[in-house]
Amino acid sequence: MSLLEVRNVYKRFGGIIALDGVSLDIEEGEILGLVGPNGSGKSTLINVLSAFYQPDGGRVTFAGEDATDLPAHRLAALGIARTYQIPRPFDTMTPRENIAVSYMFGRSRHSLAGAREAAQQWLEFTGLAKVADIPISELTLHQLKFLELARALATQPSLLLLDEVLAGLNPSEINESIEMIRRVHDQGITLLIVEHVIRVVMSLSDRLVVLDQGAVIADGPPEEVMSDPVVVTAYLGDGARGA
Amino acid sequence: MSSRLRVVLGFAVAAVVLFFLPTLQESLDLPRFYVIFLFTVFFWISQASSWNVLTGYSGYFSFGQGAWYGIGVYAVAVLSGKHGWSFIAAVPIGGLIALGAGLLVGLVVFRLRRLTGEIFALTTLAIAFVLAAVARITTAIDGGTGIFMTGTPIPEFLGDFTTAMYRMTLTIMLLTVLAAYLIQDSRLGWGLFAIRDDEPVAGGLGVPVFRSKMIALGVNAFFAGLMGGVWSLQLGFVTIDDVFNIRVPLFVILMTVLGGIGHWMGPVVGAVIIYTLSDRLNSAGLTDVNQVIIGALLVVLALAVKEGVYLRMRARWVTTIVTFAVVMGALTVFDVNESLISDFAMTMVVVVVVLLVPARVWRFGRNGDDGDGPPVGMDAMTEAGGS
Repeated sequence: MSLLEVRNVYKRFGGIIALDGVSLDIEEGEILGLVGPNGSGKSTLINVLSAFYQPDGGRVTFAGEDATDLPAHRLAALGIARTYQIPRPFDTMTPRENIAVSYMFGRSRHSLAGAREAAQQWLEFTGLAKVADIPISELTLHQLKFLELARALATQPSLLLLDEVLAGLNPSEINESIEMIRRVHDQGITLLIVEHVIRVVMSLSDRLVVLDQGAVIADGPPEEVMSDPVVVTAYLGDGARGA
Repeated sequence: MSSRLRVVLGFAVAAVVLFFLPTLQESLDLPRFYVIFLFTVFFWISQASSWNVLTGYSGYFSFGQGAWYGIGVYAVAVLSGKHGWSFIAAVPIGGLIALGAGLLVGLVVFRLRRLTGEIFALTTLAIAFVLAAVARITTAIDGGTGIFMTGTPIPEFLGDFTTAMYRMTLTIMLLTVLAAYLIQDSRLGWGLFAIRDDEPVAGGLGVPVFRSKMIALGVNAFFAGLMGGVWSLQLGFVTIDDVFNIRVPLFVILMTVLGGIGHWMGPVVGAVIIYTLSDRLNSAGLTDVNQVIIGALLVVLALAVKEGVYLRMRARWVTTIVTFAVVMGALTVFDVNESLISDFAMTMVVVVVVLLVPARVWRFGRNGDDGDGPPVGMDAMTEAGGS
């Protein structure tokens, strides 16, 4: 049994079909890379898997439990956490408090007493300890991205969905982030990584799934998938194959 | 001493002091009006504080205060005024009916994802209109004739009318403020603050958003209805136009925003300032411009002191206390006004004006000992701040 099983998931917005019968598995302990051209449905899939959107059809099973219609907070309790491509911190709270809220709710309940202290471990893990108690508005994009990660980790998930954590970062920040993602994985957390930077996904992932126009067009080892003619066509257009 | 213990002790001291305050009126031979003034302030503190739990904490802007309040008023007016039930038994029932109505409304509006923002505000406003229409056409409730409360007896152990009103409003006010404080300083409160900042993200991190909002709305409706029930007695003659109007929702918004929305002390400070001013303007014969003046005040303060007067007072408590003591003392000693309430109103105005001036102006040429600006994050909001 896979940790997460997605079967035939549909999602449409008005006349646009964003997910057209997506099926995939995420095995416990792996790093699965999810790639595809712009508008292929990667973010929509993450939004469905985190109950941000309700799917219009299909089934999602997490750790053997039907998770299709569960509200978001129940998924968090089951152990699914996510980050947002554009950081969405609670902006009346400091970074420490953002993480404390996440720790109090998340996968298991903890009381307010001690939550701020508990936040320290994730502040240190993501290197945010220095900026723990300043207003959110003073954080850089890079720090906000790490706060997204810290807050997701504080829910103590077993599956973490990373939505373009590297977008907008400079090369040295990207390298730092890759290190951090590896360390997260070393803690035994299963990862689904949505990423634009192919080089990064290739180096991190155990397996790649390629989405195009809301459907899975390839699923397998990274090297193999990226040389698949169907994938090349999806990325570069029809002319590319002959060229 | 932990901050939690400090606040709870503060509550106990405030409760004892306030309970015996009316005896001061007798021994100092002050007019009875002072006691009525105080319990009206309690009424507004409770209304504003309960509104703050829903709107200030969860961010759902509600105009429903008039509905919850009105349900409490009418429940008691019907049960005691019409059917002769014991007043003391009817008041909690008023609170519970308001609670039930609140939860029923919540069940619908919080299930519909689109009912956020201004749509939520307008929906809650509509509830009071619907209730008013229902009460008007139902003779079992009102039927358009109004209900007299003057024949309703009050239990003897509460004292004469004014003393009884004072004790009942004081009790409910203290319970409301205590509830607001305990919620703010709890897991539930932090969940609500997360919902206020970004509801979908809060849900994704495990905050049970529906349940949290239901609790906030329930607390709001219950205390508004409970105090409404007691207030039916003060109204004397309960009519639809007096009860289901825009006054209650408007005033709680003004009070809470001025005092500091989202902090349990904000509505307390705001209610004291706004009601005192409103009362003085009325007694000076300025009833018509009353709301204009208060509205203008709110606009100025909302722009100048975004965090609310209370947090500004706390950040600059030395300035606040000194200004208050000097002005209040001077006005009393020189006997400027006939009424202590006028002294108090003037003093509050001076304190607020002084707090409007940026701290750096007072500190010109020296190092300030008096804090500047609000503290950061939830530390600004909770006394349990880490650092």
